[in-house]
Amino acid sequence: MRGFTHYISGLAVATFFPSLVADIRMGILIPVIAAASAYFPDFVDFKFGKFFARRDYEIDPAPWDEKKHYAPKLVRIKDLSEKNRYQFFAIEGKVEEILTKGSGTISYEIIEKDGTVRTVKEEYNSIIFTLSDGTGKIVVDAFGDDYRFFEEEFGQIEEGKEILVFGYVDVDPDGSLRFVVSDAPHPQRIADTIAEAIETAYEEGEKIVKIHNIRLPGDVYRRFVVHLDPPKREVRVEMGPIVTPGGIAIGGEPPEYRKYGIAKVNVPFIKTYPKPTRIDSFSGPEIAFRRTKHRGKTVVKDRFLPWHHGFSHSMTMGVIIGIFVFLFAKLFGYSHATDLALASMIGQWLHVFEDQLGFMGSNLFPPLTKDVIPGFKLGESGSGLTNFSTAWLMIALMIWNFNRFTNPRPIPISDATLLLYLIWPSIIGFGIAIAKSFKLRREINELMDYYTNLEAFEEMEEVGGI
Amino acid sequence: MLPLSDILIWSFAGVLFGSLISWIPGFHIYNIIALLVAVFGVGEKMPVEAFPFFGLGAIVAYSYVSAISSVYFSVADESAVFLLFPTQRYLLLGRGHEAVLLYLIGAVSGTLILVLGMLFIFPKVLPPIYQATSPYITYFLTAIVLFMFMSEWPKEGDRGRTVKERLWLAWRQILGGILVFFISGILGFIVMNTSVLPTTSAYTRLTPMFIGFFGMSWVILNILSNPPMLPQKPEDMIESSIYNTLKASFGGALGGTIAAVYPIITGGMGALVAGHMTSQRGDDAFIISQGVNRVLYYVGAFSLLFLPNLRLTRGAGAWLVSSIYTPKSYSEYIAAIGVILLAAGISFLFTYALSVVIARSFNVMHIKKVSYFVAAVLVVISYLLTGWMGVVVLFVSTVIGLMAAAFNTRRSYCLGGLILPVLVSMTGHTGAFMHLLGLG
Repeated sequence: MRGFTHYISGLAVATFFPSLVADIRMGILIPVIAAASAYFPDFVDFKFGKFFARRDYEIDPAPWDEKKHYAPKLVRIKDLSEKNRYQFFAIEGKVEEILTKGSGTISYEIIEKDGTVRTVKEEYNSIIFTLSDGTGKIVVDAFGDDYRFFEEEFGQIEEGKEILVFGYVDVDPDGSLRFVVSDAPHPQRIADTIAEAIETAYEEGEKIVKIHNIRLPGDVYRRFVVHLDPPKREVRVEMGPIVTPGGIAIGGEPPEYRKYGIAKVNVPFIKTYPKPTRIDSFSGPEIAFRRTKHRGKTVVKDRFLPWHHGFSHSMTMGVIIGIFVFLFAKLFGYSHATDLALASMIGQWLHVFEDQLGFMGSNLFPPLTKDVIPGFKLGESGSGLTNFSTAWLMIALMIWNFNRFTNPRPIPISDATLLLYLIWPSIIGFGIAIAKSFKLRREINELMDYYTNLEAFEEMEEVGGI
Repeated sequence: MLPLSDILIWSFAGVLFGSLISWIPGFHIYNIIALLVAVFGVGEKMPVEAFPFFGLGAIVAYSYVSAISSVYFSVADESAVFLLFPTQRYLLLGRGHEAVLLYLIGAVSGTLILVLGMLFIFPKVLPPIYQATSPYITYFLTAIVLFMFMSEWPKEGDRGRTVKERLWLAWRQILGGILVFFISGILGFIVMNTSVLPTTSAYTRLTPMFIGFFGMSWVILNILSNPPMLPQKPEDMIESSIYNTLKASFGGALGGTIAAVYPIITGGMGALVAGHMTSQRGDDAFIISQGVNRVLYYVGAFSLLFLPNLRLTRGAGAWLVSSIYTPKSYSEYIAAIGVILLAAGISFLFTYALSVVIARSFNVMHIKKVSYFVAAVLVVISYLLTGWMGVVVLFVSTVIGLMAAAFNTRRSYCLGGLILPVLVSMTGHTGAFMHLLGLG
């Protein structure tokens, strides 16, 4: 659920305590602590936990320019190395020598929507030249669609011309660096790193991958999508269009020949959520890969945002919050400390329960329980339907409580009738969400059955690991 | 009640007046109406009973036509806090006209929702709900402010090399927002509770502060950033869907209604709450929802003045008008609904036509030159309404508005200028706060 849904749940919980309602009515605002407690788990995770989280692999396809805070970063040639392969940069320098300029036919594979691979042959023009920036020199290569763009931008390239060129770093078979003109990084590095993380997790237990997003000038982002494909044992990364922070694509689709990165994974893994991970605006995600048992078989399982829904999202934490609020309120001499502590604890528990309705689930009773209990899969955290239904229910409950605890009642009808008048939108909303969730849960179960019966898993056990 | 012909004439005059000034960046209809009252007065040239309809026409026009300044000239008031950045992007892509069209879709949707609400829902539902919840307004307001602080999304921090660096990058923005809120609050407290501004400016004493927070600071940013005047496409095309439009309309209406009904809660705060409640995503949905939100917030709030069984005065426009004449009968309420429809129709056509003209000739006059002119006019307005001290307040609040931009934080934190003094007053701590500031 979204933050405000949790927050308003805490606000609503406080209104179930007549003593707190009376205080609020008199202008004593301390019961707002119950709302803050209900939001606390997300506050802790997103304002602190996220920044403390361990990162075993950090994927930054397009490092930011330190002054401008967007990509591409202006780099000096001497600072580039093999480690930067496929990363997106800008280089400013002088054209030293034009090596070749010509045309030919290129053939490359593209992946259709159904996952099948098709080979395409295409005519292309190209230019290869060396660029020097005073710190070193590098071979620059522009071909195909990128050549067309390059020609439009720079016109006729001549030796001695000063240019600012952007693209990704590549490494030739002999180990020398090459700079390929492009408007996006190549996705292969992302795919390779994720595949490596999965394989290492299979050996060592757990690896966390931080994937940074690609921010471009004008507060727009290059979208890319990570597909984990357990049946094919592949990680596929697809470079997408440039999008606004609101997710609207504004063009800039990369050409097919540098759109996909595919890396094979040599160990069995499963994906717990049946959708690919999309990375565009805001910040990039962290994904933990953990070795685990899936129906008796050793596999690597993914977990999105591993720092989220940990101890902060447990019932145990709710008890701690309750005790802390009680002591705090007592210290300041608040006369309804017990009610406030209870409201705060229940508010936090409501947060945990509301999140449990989704996919991620939480470790509910640490230290008694050690692992996450899967969510009920009623809807995604960003679902407008479930968020609105819950928030509306809380607003309805607040109005209902305010009315019940006021004498004479501002709305002079029976409690049951008023409640029904107020909550019907939420009942309809939840009804639709539950109906929709059946389909999704069926899909996930089918996927899990498929993993279990996958031949590759059996084969692995027979040969004792791949 | 005035004859229908007079109502039509005066409301039409209001629409015309509102349309002519609302597209100019930095101009807010409330300030301009206050200026009109201060300079010309009401009662001589305009009958007092006509003033609410004149005001209604002007406010409807503002809620439509101000889309032009928000989209093409990057200046909007706080209620457009979410609108600003998506529209800037549309403008940079040459799709400013499309952003205006999306906004207009929202505004029309908002008008229909408002009119239907005024006809069938507000008279019956609003009074009991308001009566049941109004004693708890301070609680809601405090809760929203606290949520604003708690929910600030750190825009940076991910790329810090160490934990310490990541935390600092994230928290400097959050702390900056808190600082802006409290400095704004102290300024607002001084403006409201001391004689720094002349007592003759009772109805307009907050005007220079708000001009500084939301108008002047953005005009100055326009001058400093010197944005490129890129060619704009004047074609009538939008990229959205019926689903997005309906969802955005619902969210916008929710936020706008909350802001319209409850005092101090502004359009931007309402949008924040409703955006979370309905989980809105997408630039098109944002812009549409802002169209709905602003109509509900501005026109809806003002219309509550006409509702005989509720009689709520919401917003600076309503306070100004009610000080001269408050409508009393259902006939005036029904007439107001008619005026909203008429004014919305005219404002829609005016905004659309103006957007086409501006899109076709966008690079004729540079925004920087317009901004210099507007900055001078804003200083003059502040001086005429509140004297030289008003200009000083304008200067200070402009600096605070610029601080919000420098910290990359929410502009709506500047609302601390209104929220903090009101909260202090509502909780009965004005004297103690005065003492704390060394003012009494």
